[in-house]
Amino acid sequence: MADHKQPPASTPPGVCRGRLAEESAGGADSPAPRACDDRPVVLSTHGLTKRFGKLVAVDHLDLAVCRGDVFGFLGPNGAGKTTTIRMIFGLIFPTSGYAEVAGHRVPGERVAALRHLGGFVEVPAFYPNMSARRNLRLIGSAGGDASEGRITEVLDTVGLLTRGDSRVGGYSHGMKQRLGIANALLNSPDVIILDEPTSGLDPQGMKDVRELVRELGKVGTTVFLSSHLLHEIEQVCNRAVIINRGRTVVEGPVATLRPRDEAVKVMTGDQQKAFETARALFGAQGVSWDEGYLVVRAGDEGVPELVRRLVADGVAVRAVVPAVEQGLEEFFLGLTQSSDADGGRGEPAGRRARQPCAAWAASSSRSSFNGAPTSAGRVCWPCRC
Amino acid sequence: MTLLRLELSKTLNQKRTYIGWVGLVLVPVIVVAAGSLQKPRPQAPGEPPFVAHVSQNGLLVMLSVLIALAAFLLPIIAAMGGASSVASEAETGTLKTWLTRPVSRAAVLLTKWAMAVLYALAGAALVAVVSLIAGVLAFGLHPLVTLSGTTMGVQQALALIGLAYLLVVAGAVCSLSIAFFISTLTDSSLTAATIAIAVFTVLTILNAFSVFDFMKPYTYSTYRLAFLNLFRFPIYWPPIRQALVNYGVTTALLLLAAWAVFSRKDILT
Repeated sequence: MADHKQPPASTPPGVCRGRLAEESAGGADSPAPRACDDRPVVLSTHGLTKRFGKLVAVDHLDLAVCRGDVFGFLGPNGAGKTTTIRMIFGLIFPTSGYAEVAGHRVPGERVAALRHLGGFVEVPAFYPNMSARRNLRLIGSAGGDASEGRITEVLDTVGLLTRGDSRVGGYSHGMKQRLGIANALLNSPDVIILDEPTSGLDPQGMKDVRELVRELGKVGTTVFLSSHLLHEIEQVCNRAVIINRGRTVVEGPVATLRPRDEAVKVMTGDQQKAFETARALFGAQGVSWDEGYLVVRAGDEGVPELVRRLVADGVAVRAVVPAVEQGLEEFFLGLTQSSDADGGRGEPAGRRARQPCAAWAASSSRSSFNGAPTSAGRVCWPCRC
Repeated sequence: MTLLRLELSKTLNQKRTYIGWVGLVLVPVIVVAAGSLQKPRPQAPGEPPFVAHVSQNGLLVMLSVLIALAAFLLPIIAAMGGASSVASEAETGTLKTWLTRPVSRAAVLLTKWAMAVLYALAGAALVAVVSLIAGVLAFGLHPLVTLSGTTMGVQQALALIGLAYLLVVAGAVCSLSIAFFISTLTDSSLTAATIAIAVFTVLTILNAFSVFDFMKPYTYSTYRLAFLNLFRFPIYWPPIRQALVNYGVTTALLLLAAWAVFSRKDILT
């Protein structure tokens, strides 16, 4: 597990500084965030914006998916995920900004871009009165080349080989989703986009599809996976972005997406004395009570010191256990809700959400989620993308 | 071309394709039955030509059927085809599936239109063949008496009848194109078909009143029986030329309008 210490306020890593500069420049021509190190960016959006009347569905969204990523595109319902995906496919036209697939801009060079792109938006749709094989043959040969061998291959990949000759109309929802993935893979595109592929599936179906996406990632397929389930993204993706109201809330490697809570619960023979000791060590803000337990935000290295001091002070330490981790869904809810609250106040909020950790910590509105004292720095993106 | 082949394969897989064709084929069957049952009688005033004498010549079955098609059935069937091409795919979501493929929107649009035209054309051809077979079996094959009272040989008559069928299909393509244009505006194929049929019906009614005569040269419905002029001696070409120009302009304008809408359309369903 990586070290999640936030960078000091004065030295945000270069990547972050770059992003900030780019944001202040703004506009549709801003370069893709350099998140990929030496891997090429295969899919990116640049100041992508879509308005429906007064509603701003997607608001200056900048994304970068690197080759080999299984990239999570996370947000609550109505956050603008599907609208973004539609713009990437060129199904709808951005109000401003553009998407870029393998160097081709959408909407400008839509056809060229789509040669490098596969996938589906919302629910994959096929002709119900034809077999899966025939559907793939039909759709795959539009602007591409779908050999029987390749069709067999992708049907095998998604586990539909034995049902390939039955009518799609008789397929279960899960099978249709898997056929959608097969169709996405058919012409071996550089990147596939899957729009909530597990939505509406039963637990087994969800598990199957996630397993499939994970397998795809293992063999090097670049996947852009949208979801409103944080744990799903965490299970299958390596990098992710969380959006809300069409704007980026946080972005970066998934390994660091989960909020790490280094708090411990302490039970001693003399809780009051332990409280004094802990407060002396970590300050009043670092110590709280929870059902008789003392909750101490000691950090990884603070715990041994705390125990040493307690023992030195003659307090009998009975238990030191990790505080229950903040639930991921709560974390997600907190993130998106606080950006909702900011949304009302206007433009700077989305920007602020992407500022480096120090600036974030200074923002009082972010110091807690759901009333639980949370170290602001942990929620902030660590800027090591 | 690949796209058109795909469209064809898709169309031939749909039940409604055959339902439309069966409906068309019923017409010659009815005409032959009626011809067999009725006694030859003089043409009633206001009645289209050929129909009264249908039992005298198998070729007249083809022409009587064509009159019925031109007045009503083919525009409707064609409108259905034109309406279903974009809107019904939007209804099922498969339009999105197509447009996430590396094909230009222009190609998708034009192929769908071409497929609808092909469908109407195939329907007309089917009717022609069935009419010919049924007519010849029932009433024999005889030289055709023209509207001018002269007689023309079977071969020449068949060629002209073929031409007449094409002309009627071209007229139906106008209805088809209206439906097609509207199907780019709406996601409901039923709406598109209904509007196209309503337009055709309203135009036909307008054509029936002499007060609206000033409109006649511009409405495509005016020319639905223009093909009858092929069966005069000598052939009277001016109305046929006018019909072709009118059909061409109407169709081109509607296609341009469809492209103007579709090329900038946000595909949401």
